[in-house]
This record gives sequence, structure tokens and C-alpha cells, in this order.
Amino acid sequence: MSSPAALSPADSGPVETRGRCPLLLLAGSAVAWLALASVLALISGIQLHDPAFLGGCPILTHGRVQALAETAFVYGWIANAGLALVLWILARLGGEPLRAANWVAAGATFWNLGILLALVGIASGEATAIPLLELPRDVQPLLLAAYGAVALGGVLAWTGRRRDVMYASHWYAVAALFLFPWLLSIAQVTLLWFPVRGTLQAVVAGWYAQGLWTLWMAPLALAVAYYVVPKSTGRSIASYDFASLGFWCLLFVGAWTGGRHLIGGPVPAWISTIAIVAAATLLFHYAIIWLNLRGSGGLGGVPLQFIRFGLLAYVLGGLLDALTAIRGVAEVTQFTHFDEAQQELAFYGAVSMLLLGGLYYALPRLTGRPWAYGGLVRAHFVLTAGAVAVRVVALGAAGLVQGTALNDAAVTFPEIAARTHTWLLLASAAQAVLLLGNLLLLVNFFKSALCPYYAAAVAAVRQTQGIAAEAPVR
Amino acid sequence: MKNGALLFLGLFAALGVSWAGIIIGSSDQFGALAPYYDAATDQTYPNGMAGVAARGQLVYRDLDCASCHTQQVRRLGFGSDQARGWGTRQSVARDYIYQPFPQLGQSRFGPDLTNFSAHSPIAVAPGGIYQLLYAGRGAMPAFAFLFETRRIVGEPSIHALHLGAGLEPPAGYELVPTPRAEALAAYLLSLSSPYDDYPEAMPPPAPKGEEAKK
Repeated sequence: MSSPAALSPADSGPVETRGRCPLLLLAGSAVAWLALASVLALISGIQLHDPAFLGGCPILTHGRVQALAETAFVYGWIANAGLALVLWILARLGGEPLRAANWVAAGATFWNLGILLALVGIASGEATAIPLLELPRDVQPLLLAAYGAVALGGVLAWTGRRRDVMYASHWYAVAALFLFPWLLSIAQVTLLWFPVRGTLQAVVAGWYAQGLWTLWMAPLALAVAYYVVPKSTGRSIASYDFASLGFWCLLFVGAWTGGRHLIGGPVPAWISTIAIVAAATLLFHYAIIWLNLRGSGGLGGVPLQFIRFGLLAYVLGGLLDALTAIRGVAEVTQFTHFDEAQQELAFYGAVSMLLLGGLYYALPRLTGRPWAYGGLVRAHFVLTAGAVAVRVVALGAAGLVQGTALNDAAVTFPEIAARTHTWLLLASAAQAVLLLGNLLLLVNFFKSALCPYYAAAVAAVRQTQGIAAEAPVR
Repeated sequence: MKNGALLFLGLFAALGVSWAGIIIGSSDQFGALAPYYDAATDQTYPNGMAGVAARGQLVYRDLDCASCHTQQVRRLGFGSDQARGWGTRQSVARDYIYQPFPQLGQSRFGPDLTNFSAHSPIAVAPGGIYQLLYAGRGAMPAFAFLFETRRIVGEPSIHALHLGAGLEPPAGYELVPTPRAEALAAYLLSLSSPYDDYPEAMPPPAPKGEEAKK
């Protein structure tokens, strides 16, 4: 970590004192959801090689556990952590204390309440079976309103910035704040409230899932990377002139890659053809990210190591997306564990690592105190980086084995299961390591962020009691 | 880039263009696809779903069966879908127009189910589908919670499961599917796309060079 001892008092300014409470609420819920999502992902992973595992429990059948894990991860962890960091960054770049802090706190409370309701709904059979949009229909308006309340703080920090400049962090942060509600409202109206007909639903679902990635998750994470990298290396961003091209490339081309999961499917062929072209065009964006942020190498503490890993995974993920969008490759990798490997690389390797780096960087500045256990931060990085790498390789290998076998009609399904068994076992073992790492974060977070306040509150109560005891008896 | 309003407009345009292109574009192309009228048989295809099957699709959806099963057959020469007996032609958009929530799926940890009722031996065997759902098989987990053991009142149910010695419920009791299991079974047994002659489902004509060779 960026040597917490060297943290100067100036690092924790007026931005922090007003925004501390709501931002800690967002970050704390994020960390808790991450731990829960890891437990659920572990169950779902074990069920892939041991189908009977917890199968007797209706709320834990494979389909539902997977939906629960995904929802807790994307809308619990990534949303909360991303919003906390993006709001903090916007306030800092604006040079003013966080405005509308009460709105943010109320929004964060209702957002998390909504996620809890969504999980209960999925477990009791209200899931929508749409990838990345498993949220039951009825909680979605609540989530939209709550998101709006949280985002208000960020938008006010952006419009009320003290100097009339915008940095790359600004663009990505503002894009993430504005685009998510639009995406979610379009998707929920066209898929859940007034469903479109037939396989058009699959087209909309693909557009939403891809949009969620390129127009929301990736911008959240990149806003963090563009802020933390120059701040903690002390160097300006290399070839910064290209940054805006990279930004607009992601925004305008990104959502068009949604059709790559529909290659060969019952939809018009132009949808997947455009997706293939878009996936290749998007390589331009990944190249610029690499060009801009490659300076993160070699310097800095543990937060920067998370960021470095995240950037590498982000660029690698982009290359894999373009590669697997090619029809000949998709013929093998489609419908297999390879998709899961790519998702792991993108959601965990790239976005989560960038957000974790941001969290480890921001929290000491937000609370004004270093992390309680510096060793756990380092341990978390080692465990997570190792486990994510193993999981991506194991799931990728399982996917290739499975895909090749699926394309040979003579290989039966039990045989495919037997061939992928070892790889899936390895992926589950790595998932257990991830869970361990996330529990370390949970302990460290609560010790660092909450215990000091608790101790201060207890001391204050004791003091008032002491004063009361010393008061003269009438 | 300094101008906030320009950034906002750019964001709006970025989302709007992809929305118009992908969603409005494809909706315009096949959002109102009509059933196909075959003059030879004086019939329209595909057929609508029975009410109980449509309810079964909701059970399929809430258990997220699509996390392991697809319902889309790919064309000949792209994967081994047809060689595996999952269908005799590529699935086309028209196959799904009467399904309230088409479950195309993204994973094939289990077999494709597009034509489950037509091609699977499980669908043909009497009670086979209930046996499969109750006990699971291979990598498919058991969904025992879709069944209940109840006291036999009057005649025993025709859907009662007979699992063989040792696994039978106590005398006077029977193991029967719940209404959800019945709906799910009805849905699975309705899965087939029997009509093959949609114009868009025909294989594309051979390239001219190959025709000349013939």
C-alpha cells in the first residue's frame, strides 16, 4: 500500500469530512456484498463438478445460486464500490466538499435495501433468467430512484467544480453516472414491463449486458485508474492527448458488441456481424488505455499493484473478446466455460481489481487513518491475483475442452463432464482462495473504517457518564 | 475536452445511436414477425403454446434452467448441433414468436432442449420426465422439491412415481409431482419445432462455382 505512514494530514481535506459517512456506507456495503457473492459463487462453482451439492434446497439450485452470486457481485459489490470511489474522485477533482451528502446516504441505504429485496426475490423464484439482469422486475424502479439519489452527489460535484477543466477521470465517471439509469430503464421497459416479441428479447438482453459492461462497469473502473495512477506515481499520463479518443471509442463502439453471444443464433446475421466488427474496432480503445496507463509499472505500493493487474486484465480481456467474436473461434467457445473465463477476467480481473486498488488507495484518505492491518492488504493482493489468474486459466481450459468435445457428436455429456472435472475442481479451489481474500478485506475494512468511530463513540458516552457521575447530588 | 454540455450530449448520442441501431433496427426488421402460411397444408406455423406449457415456461425461467440448457439449434456445419440430434434445421426467429419468454440460453452444460419432446428418449418413456426431474441424472441435479409425498385418498394418482424397491414411499402414501412440476413437464414435452419449410430456414443456395462443378 502507498506507505500509510507517509500519509500527510493534507491528504484528508474538507472533501472527506462531509462525504465520509455516506461514502463509507457505500464502501462498507460493497465489501460485505463482495464477501457474500464469493460464498455464492463458490457454491455455484462446486455444483458444476458436484451437481448434487445443496441440490435439495430449492433456493440453492444451480440456476438460482448463479443468479444470486451474479446479482450480489454486480449490483452489490461493483455498484457500491464504483459509486463510492467515483463520488470521492469527483469531489476531490472538484475541490469542494461533497454536496447532497444526505441524498447520497439515503440513496445508498435504499440501493442496498433494493439489492437485498432482489436477492430474496431471486431465491424465492422471481428471477428473470436474463444474464446480468436477474433483478426481479418489481425492485427495479426502487433501484433506479436510489441510484439517482446517489448519483446526484457526483453530478453536483462535477457541475460545481472549482476550476473549469475536465480530466479523463471526469469523463469516465460522469459517463458511468448518467448511462446506467438510461440503460436499466430501457432494458426493464422492453424486457420486463412490456416485453418485446420472440428472440428480439435476446437482442435487447445482449445489448443491455454489453452496455452494462462497456458503458458502466468499465467506465467506473477506468475513472479510478485514471485518477489513482498519476496520483500515486507522481507522473503525468503518457500520451494524454489520445485519452479522449479512447473514451469516445469505448462509448460509441462498445454497446454494438452485444450481439457476439448471438453468433449462429435465431436472429438476423447482421446483429452478430456488427458485433464482430465492433469488437475488433474496440481494440483501438484498449490500445489507448495501455498507452495512457502503462506508466503504472514499477512504482508505488499495493494499491497500484491491484491497478496494474487490473489494467493488464482489462487489455487482455479486450483482446480475448475480439478473438472469440470471430465466427470460427466462437464455434468452439460459444456456450462453454470459456465465456465464464472471459467474464471472470473482465469482472474480477479487470473491474474488481481496479476498484480494489482504488478502495485501498482511497480509504486511508477518507478516514484520515492508515489501514489497520497493512499485512492483510498485501495478503489480499497476493491471494486475489493468484486466484483470479488460476480461475481464468482453469475455466478457459475447461471451456476449450468442453467446446471441442461438444463439437464432436460422438462424445456424450457424462464424458464431457468427466473431461472437464479436474479443471472445474481447480476453479473451485481458486474460488475458495478468493473468498478467503475477500474475508480478509472485510475484517480489515471494519477494523479500519468502523472501529475507530465506534471507539470514539464509546469514549464520548463514557465521558458524558463520567461528567454526570461527578455532578453534585442535589 | 472542457465543455460539460458537449460531454453530456455525447453520452446521450452514444447510447442513443446504439439503441436506435440495434434495438429499433432489429425491432423494425423482425419485431412483428408474422406466422408463416403454408398453402400446401392450409395451416399457419408455428403453433401457439398451450396454457399449461406457458406456465411451465415460467417455472423453467424461475429455476433458471437456461443457466445450463440452450434452446437454439445452430446451422449445419457450425457446431455439431444437428449431428447430436437436437434438430434437423437451424432455429429461426419465427420459431419463437409465440413464446412469452424465449429461453435461448448461453451455456451448454446440458443438452440443447429446442426439440426435447421430439428427439429425447426421456420424453418418449412414460413418466421419464418426472423420473429425471425427481432423481437427476449424470450432471443434472435432482429437483426433488418439485414433488411431494402424500397420503393416497381414493384412487392413486396416474402421475405417481415408482422408483423401485427400497425407494418407494410407505404403504398408503404416494410420491407425486406438484402442480409446478406438472407445468414444467408439460412445457418440456411441448418443446419441438416440427415445421421445417420456413423460407428463412432453408439452407442457402450453393455458391455458383460449386454448381458449375456439379
